[in-house]
Amino acid sequence: MAIPSRPGRHPGLWLIATLAAATLLAAVMTMRPPVPASAELARQLDHILLWHSLVPRSVTALICGAALGLAGLLLQRVLRNPIADASTLGVVSGAQLALTIATAFAPAAIVFSREGVALAGAFLAVALVLGLSWRRGLEPLTVVLSGMVVSLLAAALSATVILAKGDYVLSLFIWGAGSLHQQSWDAVLALGPRLLLCWLAAALLLRPLALLGLDDGIARNLGLALHAARFAVLAVAIWLAASVTAEVGVIGFVGLAAPALAREFGARTPRRLLLAAPAVGALLLSITDSAVQLLGSGFNDLAPTGAATALLGGPLLLWLMRRVPPAPPAQAVDAMTPTHRIGRPLPALAGLAAAVAIVALLGLVLGRGPQGWGIAMDGLFAELLPFRGPRLVAAGVAGALLGAAGCLMQRLTANPLAGPEVLGVSAGGGVGLTLALALLPFSPFSMLLGIAGGSLAVLLVMLVLAGRPGIGSQRLLLAGIAMGALCMALVSTALAKGDLRAYVLLTWLSGSTNRAGEIEVWVGLAACLLLIAPLFLATRWLDLMPLGEAASRSLGLSVAGSRLILAAFAALATAVASLLVGPLSLIGLIAPHLARLGGFARARDQLVASLLIGCGLLILADWLARLVAFPYQVPTGLFAALIGGPYLIWLLNRKGSRHG
Amino acid sequence: MNLRLPTRREALAILAVAALPHPAHAVGLRVATVDWSVLETLLALGIAPAAAPELLQFREVAVEPAVPPSVTDLGLRGTVNFELLLLSRPELIYSSSFYVSSEPRLTRIAPVERFSIYAPGRPPYEPAAAMMRSIGARLGRSDEAERYIAEAEAEFAALRERLTPHAQRPVIPINLGDARHFRVFGADSMFGEVLKRLGLANAWSDDTSYSAMAPVGLEALARVPDAWIALIPPVPPGALETLSASAFWNTLPNLREGRLLQLASINPYGGLPAARRFARLLAEALLAKGPAHG
Repeated sequence: MAIPSRPGRHPGLWLIATLAAATLLAAVMTMRPPVPASAELARQLDHILLWHSLVPRSVTALICGAALGLAGLLLQRVLRNPIADASTLGVVSGAQLALTIATAFAPAAIVFSREGVALAGAFLAVALVLGLSWRRGLEPLTVVLSGMVVSLLAAALSATVILAKGDYVLSLFIWGAGSLHQQSWDAVLALGPRLLLCWLAAALLLRPLALLGLDDGIARNLGLALHAARFAVLAVAIWLAASVTAEVGVIGFVGLAAPALAREFGARTPRRLLLAAPAVGALLLSITDSAVQLLGSGFNDLAPTGAATALLGGPLLLWLMRRVPPAPPAQAVDAMTPTHRIGRPLPALAGLAAAVAIVALLGLVLGRGPQGWGIAMDGLFAELLPFRGPRLVAAGVAGALLGAAGCLMQRLTANPLAGPEVLGVSAGGGVGLTLALALLPFSPFSMLLGIAGGSLAVLLVMLVLAGRPGIGSQRLLLAGIAMGALCMALVSTALAKGDLRAYVLLTWLSGSTNRAGEIEVWVGLAACLLLIAPLFLATRWLDLMPLGEAASRSLGLSVAGSRLILAAFAALATAVASLLVGPLSLIGLIAPHLARLGGFARARDQLVASLLIGCGLLILADWLARLVAFPYQVPTGLFAALIGGPYLIWLLNRKGSRHG
Repeated sequence: MNLRLPTRREALAILAVAALPHPAHAVGLRVATVDWSVLETLLALGIAPAAAPELLQFREVAVEPAVPPSVTDLGLRGTVNFELLLLSRPELIYSSSFYVSSEPRLTRIAPVERFSIYAPGRPPYEPAAAMMRSIGARLGRSDEAERYIAEAEAEFAALRERLTPHAQRPVIPINLGDARHFRVFGADSMFGEVLKRLGLANAWSDDTSYSAMAPVGLEALARVPDAWIALIPPVPPGALETLSASAFWNTLPNLREGRLLQLASINPYGGLPAARRFARLLAEALLAKGPAHG
């Protein structure tokens, strides 16, 4: 491993970290489990175990850690974003989606080049993310939020493919949890030279890298071909990260942590960081990997290494939030202003409500049966109503809750890319469900308990954070992303177990309204009443908040208190909705957007419009999901994400809506 | 009372019907199921349910018993199409503990009977046999059920006899997860139960909390150098190609001495028919390897 010759301010830290990694590595090597066989065979097997499995695994961990650390450093530098990383930029989920699709529909492509497939997906995803945030000047938070949107969309698509193709899921789950088991030197041979090559390229780009840290104008004046340099660095970083992802799977947060820790260890200049970040990455992953091996039993790791790094990385991301520069408020206000305003919002809202009613009626009567399309009347209608009714209500209620929560989040943070899905609350429900499935006897009640408990736990953490002085709305959003990523990493570990419980989790993840019944309907309706009605008392807060903290305060608003209350409402609404339609629907992001686009400018109008739009959209999605592949049903949450996501991306990139 | 002999055409029709799996209403009850292990069991008893889930996948994964075209496909197991189930007009729905959260919906359509074959910490063979007896009793096929269970026991005993020369070596039933990991089926899985009945040891002696354990690194195979590796599909694309080039894989005594058994697809969470299919495929593969060497 490459330890910088002049280790900066904290030589002690370097020494401790290196010693820890070396000790753990030695422990893994010496404490390897014995092989039950005759002496001669045992010696032979022990030899291949050591030299074809344990040693290559350790070297792979070092190389992957270094590669991810380098990639993270480059990405953070080029995007001037302390929280840029392969996982927050969508590299990982893009690669995952590409591999999933290829595994299910074109296995020949995987056999031909696994890495090529992953790389194509990764580049597409990053292009999408950067495209989405281009007009806000690649502002750090917007980049990460776009990354989250693209990741959610990719996750929705992957889950759909997995559900539809049942087969091969295990391989995808294992890959998603990032396990480092090795039985050959293949990964080392594939990644080692690449790491070296990319490191050399990065060293050659050192001057541009240093200049990229400066303001664009200054950099250009110093003679830097800005775009060319940016793209060169980006390409190197993505290639490196995607290669690691294709070879060993999803290993989150190392790229995020390594550069930050390297700075803590005393590396400041780009030259120092170029040595220190990969070194820290290598140490970090090596220590984690040795730990999961030592804590596991026999040959079984305690948890896949990738999931374990997420456990370390999530809290780190929370800590790193302090470094994110606040977004310029003028820009934020601009983005929240609709392109045109509706003169008389009330008739428009009534029209919207009528449209929702028509969609609902359509959903109740029009359907497909064994004899093809049909309109259910009289007797048949009465028979089908107990099945169509609850799922329609569940979808509608979830849509309304998400619409309201999204509206709150976007006004709270003055960021049009905020949404309840990125708050981490629904993903927290997933962790709760995982625990409930593992610890409690299997029943609908225990599932409900798990989801509600997990959501509430994450919610509490978020509220504690939101209540802390000095934490702006932007940082609250970041905390949500960190929690979400952390929770999803835990869920992927459970999915990688590949047993029946994993299947239950996957069904929840996909968000099916299919089994909605009386309980779901009443929970949903009560939540609507209790969580949405009081919001109309808070419309003044919502009108003021996007103006920024200073303006709100000068207009007499107690910012911290009102933010806390609104965040609680948004999180609770999200938790109930995720119970009904899963965590991935993206409706909370889309509905407030559409409301704004429709010209509903005042908080009250936008709130009503977004909950109506959310309600109508999810009812429509539910109806279509029931029909498109009859008798097979596409889960509603996924279907909503699949129709909403691409629309959202188009919306954000429309030429006409240029603000920033 | 006017008795008359059936016409020739009627007689042929009766014979034809007798040879086919009976539609369930022939014995008075029209049944449907949302669970694959029940579907297998019904078909094995000669009962074609009115409706069952995910038949496209069932025909690929479970393969047998064959599903007659008259059975309505209810869509994915996770999201059974309740409307279609309703319109299939079942009089009884068989469910399993796995679909317990759908039960309030199912009971609106017809009475529901639930079986629990796969529960954490309990081997599944006896519950599967009990399920077959219970279904047989409910649908007037008790004799068929007893016969099937006896046939299964007899088949296991016969195979056990033929496999005696192979009994010194244990078997490790696995799914390949990818080229680096596998999922192993322990003593509390259906495969583990069948191995026991065939007089073969399961090489995986560690606990599996719920039938199977995953992901296990491939290097764990070095711990079972004596074992037959029973590879159960699906095999991920490219995995075997990668493995055949792997020094580790090729150094394993199991591989060097040809102890890799590639079986055809079996439903790992099935009922008695799946258990018999596994026994038969495993025995065929073992016997095809010739007399035991070792």
